[in-house]
Amino acid sequence: MNKKIRRMTELALLTAIALIIFVVELQIPNLSPVAGVKLGLANIITVYAVYRCKWSEAALMLLARVLLGSFFSSNPSALLYSLSGGTFCLLGMLPLKKIIPINRLWLCSVFGAVLHNLGQLTAASLIMKTAAVWFYLPPLVLSGCIAGALTGLAAQLVIKRTEKIK
Amino acid sequence: MKTKAKKGLVLAYILAGVLFLSGALGTLLLLMPHKMNIVQVLRDDQILYTVYINAEDERFIRIDYGDSYNLLEIKDGKIRVSEAGCPDNTCVKMSWLSSSAPIVCLPNHLVIKFASDYDGIDAVVG
Amino acid sequence: MIKKPKWAGVLFVSLLSILLCSCGSESPVYQTGFVAMDTYIALTVYGKSAESAAKAAKEEVMRIESLMSATDPDSEVSKINEMAGETVTISDDTEKVIRAALETGKESGGALDITLRPVITEWGFTTGNYKIPDEETLDNLLEKVDYRSVKVGDNTVFLPFGEQIDLGAAAKGYAGDRAVAVLKENGVESAIISLGGNVQALGAKIGGTSWNIAVNNPFDEGNMCLLKLENASVVTSGNYERYFEGEDGKRYHHIIDPADGYPADNGIVSATITGESGLKCDALSTAVFVMGAEKAEKLWREKGGFEMLLVTEDKRIILTEGLTDVFTNLSDMEVSEIKR
Repeated sequence: MNKKIRRMTELALLTAIALIIFVVELQIPNLSPVAGVKLGLANIITVYAVYRCKWSEAALMLLARVLLGSFFSSNPSALLYSLSGGTFCLLGMLPLKKIIPINRLWLCSVFGAVLHNLGQLTAASLIMKTAAVWFYLPPLVLSGCIAGALTGLAAQLVIKRTEKIK
Repeated sequence: MKTKAKKGLVLAYILAGVLFLSGALGTLLLLMPHKMNIVQVLRDDQILYTVYINAEDERFIRIDYGDSYNLLEIKDGKIRVSEAGCPDNTCVKMSWLSSSAPIVCLPNHLVIKFASDYDGIDAVVG
Repeated sequence: MIKKPKWAGVLFVSLLSILLCSCGSESPVYQTGFVAMDTYIALTVYGKSAESAAKAAKEEVMRIESLMSATDPDSEVSKINEMAGETVTISDDTEKVIRAALETGKESGGALDITLRPVITEWGFTTGNYKIPDEETLDNLLEKVDYRSVKVGDNTVFLPFGEQIDLGAAAKGYAGDRAVAVLKENGVESAIISLGGNVQALGAKIGGTSWNIAVNNPFDEGNMCLLKLENASVVTSGNYERYFEGEDGKRYHHIIDPADGYPADNGIVSATITGESGLKCDALSTAVFVMGAEKAEKLWREKGGFEMLLVTEDKRIILTEGLTDVFTNLSDMEVSEIKR
């Protein structure tokens, strides 16, 4: 019973951290002309969860973070972008976990971030009913690679520090 | 099994590298044309369309307003009103949209302009 | 594994971020656009009360339009035209605009004449039925054109029977002045309004820099030059704004020269006036366009109170010295400066 509560608290803490990162990221001016597309820094927690939690826990945390995060954004379609991006990211990283070891976590995060942006573009093209948004795919793939690598490295550092083994 | 996983890892590295390079290259190519990529079509204060003019091939948009209409033409990264039902056709005379002024069809309350991509100019006279 | 300090840290950061996001959601700039006074009007307003101030400014512009639109049968101008031959009571606003237009008429030797309306109508600029009137008709109509015959009193105006007025050459400028006044009343210190070819800037941009106001190139697509200004009004009159092509293939534009009733053809294709009052700048831009470079220069020397930028038909830019420091040439046209 204690273990369950402890686990739930740990997950809640992780979700809160993801939420905070998401909210702070909202203050960063939007570099992409496609409204609502964000860097996806909160996926650092998603990456961590892919390696350190059950897939069901990771999915739950993602959903909670996306829903709560929508309260802080002034843009209603931001919820759909977050959801879409986060889902693509999670679904992509879970299978990759099998071939990318934890000490190369950053590589998995790269794919996660690129998929996150793909998810957002997909949402944008469906919401705006135009395929023209795919015009911005190259810079989003590039920023995905860079952001993914950085957040992945950050997650790796956290794991190294918080766990004595490995 | 171990070699399979290792093969997978190498593939993953290669794929990530390809993504990075293609993203970088693609972005460079995109930066070549000017910053005026997004055009808004408004009726009074309401945005009817947001057009990414460099992402379109040739396209026509017909906008009706009561008995009148405006036919927008998007081609080669430019946009103009190619035909209109308004009496003086000022909007058609303005030809392709340039950053100097929005294309306006007063009788039909239609405005076509570049979106908030700030190009350093706050207002245009003349 | 979870220690108290960690929780405190999380709480602190979350409070901080909530604070941050409440600051971010308040947009410091409000932009709106609408159609009025026969043109597209765009407002960019900075400040906390930007949205409410902008709405008030829009209402003021609509109010000025309802007073001065010559095509609105309920406007004061229409009333004046209908009751020509009688003294009519008018508002402070209309009185101000008529006085300013008449004064500019006098200063410019009649280059601006608000009683030109019958001639403008004959050409079709008010109806859309464009045609080239014959000389005899124009001469007859010109007999009823004389700004000096308009008599203004305290909230009154007298227009002789058979005459018609049109405040189109000055009303937009006045609307710009009034819009800025309303913005100021609502606590705004930084804003820019564009009313077709008129621009009115209140204060400087946020950050203290000047507004970058571009002047359209009369010969080509794109901008001809930049003027970096603060707290100023900029109005341009050009022969490329409203025109029709006659059966002879020639272009006939809407700025009629009261001297002969034909579109002004005195060497200027674009006249830009800058100054404090939108009303004066608007009236002067029409007058200067009609006067031509030589007479305009004389007026600038004698009267002052404004700066100007002229573009001649042989593709030269003439600048008065007050604009030299704020002028940036974006074209390949030659620039000459007029010094006092």
